[in-house]
Amino acid sequence: MSILEIHNVESGYGEVQILWGASMNPQEGKLTCLVGGNGVGKTTTLRTIMGLNRAWKGHIIFDGKDITRTPAYAKADLGIVLVPEGRQLFTDMSVYENLEMGATNNRARAKFKENLERVYVMFPRLKERAAQKSGTLSGGEQQMVAVGRGLMADPRILMIDELSLGLAPVLTLQLFQTLRELRKQGLTILLVEQNVQMALAVADYGYVFAEGRTEMEGPARELIKNEHIRAAYLGL
Amino acid sequence: MNFSNLLTSLVDGLLIGVVYGIAAMGLNLIWGVMRVINLAHGVIIALGMFGVYLFFSTLGLNPYLALLLVAVLGLLLGVLIYFIVIARVINAPYLSTLLATFSINMIILGLGTAAFTTTPRDSGFSLGNVDLGPLTLQGTRLVAALVTILVTGALYYFLYRTRPGKYIRAVANNRAAAELMGIPSDRILALSFGIGTMLAAIAGGLIATFFSFTILSGDIYQQKSFVIGVLGGLGNPLGALLGGLILGVLEGILPLAMPNTWVPVIEFLLFIIILLVKPSGLLGGRQ
Repeated sequence: MSILEIHNVESGYGEVQILWGASMNPQEGKLTCLVGGNGVGKTTTLRTIMGLNRAWKGHIIFDGKDITRTPAYAKADLGIVLVPEGRQLFTDMSVYENLEMGATNNRARAKFKENLERVYVMFPRLKERAAQKSGTLSGGEQQMVAVGRGLMADPRILMIDELSLGLAPVLTLQLFQTLRELRKQGLTILLVEQNVQMALAVADYGYVFAEGRTEMEGPARELIKNEHIRAAYLGL
Repeated sequence: MNFSNLLTSLVDGLLIGVVYGIAAMGLNLIWGVMRVINLAHGVIIALGMFGVYLFFSTLGLNPYLALLLVAVLGLLLGVLIYFIVIARVINAPYLSTLLATFSINMIILGLGTAAFTTTPRDSGFSLGNVDLGPLTLQGTRLVAALVTILVTGALYYFLYRTRPGKYIRAVANNRAAAELMGIPSDRILALSFGIGTMLAAIAGGLIATFFSFTILSGDIYQQKSFVIGVLGGLGNPLGALLGGLILGVLEGILPLAMPNTWVPVIEFLLFIIILLVKPSGLLGGRQ
């Protein structure tokens, strides 16, 4: 069942239009990935879902309700959570405080201890570094804080923008394993990723964007065999 | 000049300095959280003075009880100013927020001058003197310093130990990320502005218990707040307290060696030197 439906969304920044008709409907309990070249509107799509960019046209439906005009801060209450590109941590605050800020919405606050325990089990490093300022962590650790902070929000859908950006291959692999684990636990995930091969390898379903539109979609295992995708994105 | 005189001036300066510190802390908080240079800070300090003075002289309220009321009113006024004015220009270039807060300053100054004239006021309140060995200190200044330290402690507790306080720090650190967490940043900014003006009002209220003033007096304290802010490091509340202490000591000691009129000259000279040598302030801070 579709938890999120995006219908022909157009959006952009100021006068510059980026999305020209983005459509997708990630399924509940699945890991959906959104791939495509630079500047095709992957990040803009996530930002528009969150309400950080206004949707100029089209509709966004979450759990049967139209959320096209819902402001960003109200999205966390609904369970729509974004781990933004470049992590966007509260760098002056401790790791623990970052996780605490993640648990701002009411649902998340009720389940704070439980979720914190879960995050610490998943990323033991964060427990060790709980009192440290997040800005002083390594890139990989910062990404763990970003994902951990997202999980603390008790998401109904977790959207991750560029999980692997700027990370060493070992760390990337580790984080993708975490994703797989989260998917197994039943979390709905929408992943935007420049590493197309990795993304399609862990995902259930994939969307390929080109020029601000949904160009292709299908089960990830079929997309990964598709000639066009292999040539355009996998360099094969 | 004998030793006892020097010591008294020094401690007197320290006591007044911490009160300056709290005014600077307000300015600092507003700058640190929302990158707004609040040119209405001084006039709110003056309103704080009048608040305590009027509650005391017309209603016979104890000045420290009056201060509590003034603090609450300062908070509300700040929230009001935020939603009426600041929220509209907060994403605009600095010049817009400067002009906006300057306009608030002019409006309140105009209304205040019409209502209170510019005749100096004096609360005439006294707690007598306190003798501590070679020191003789005015009770009002001693209490003012204690209140300031209490308020600073409370502010720290609020910012570092409570959820709304942490929201303020989160919004200051990364507003977009705070929104993603579900923190309503607009309301948090309003709260921050309110607390900033509350600190200004408290500083004014305390100053009114030992100095005479007019509606125009706020300007001087606003300028001192800028000096203190730069001295201690903008965006760092503890730096504001340190800067306040330094300025207070200068004001205590310098008049012993030179005419009073030279004090601001030295203060602003120091301001310029710090800007040239260590623009991030003595206690660092970002940027």
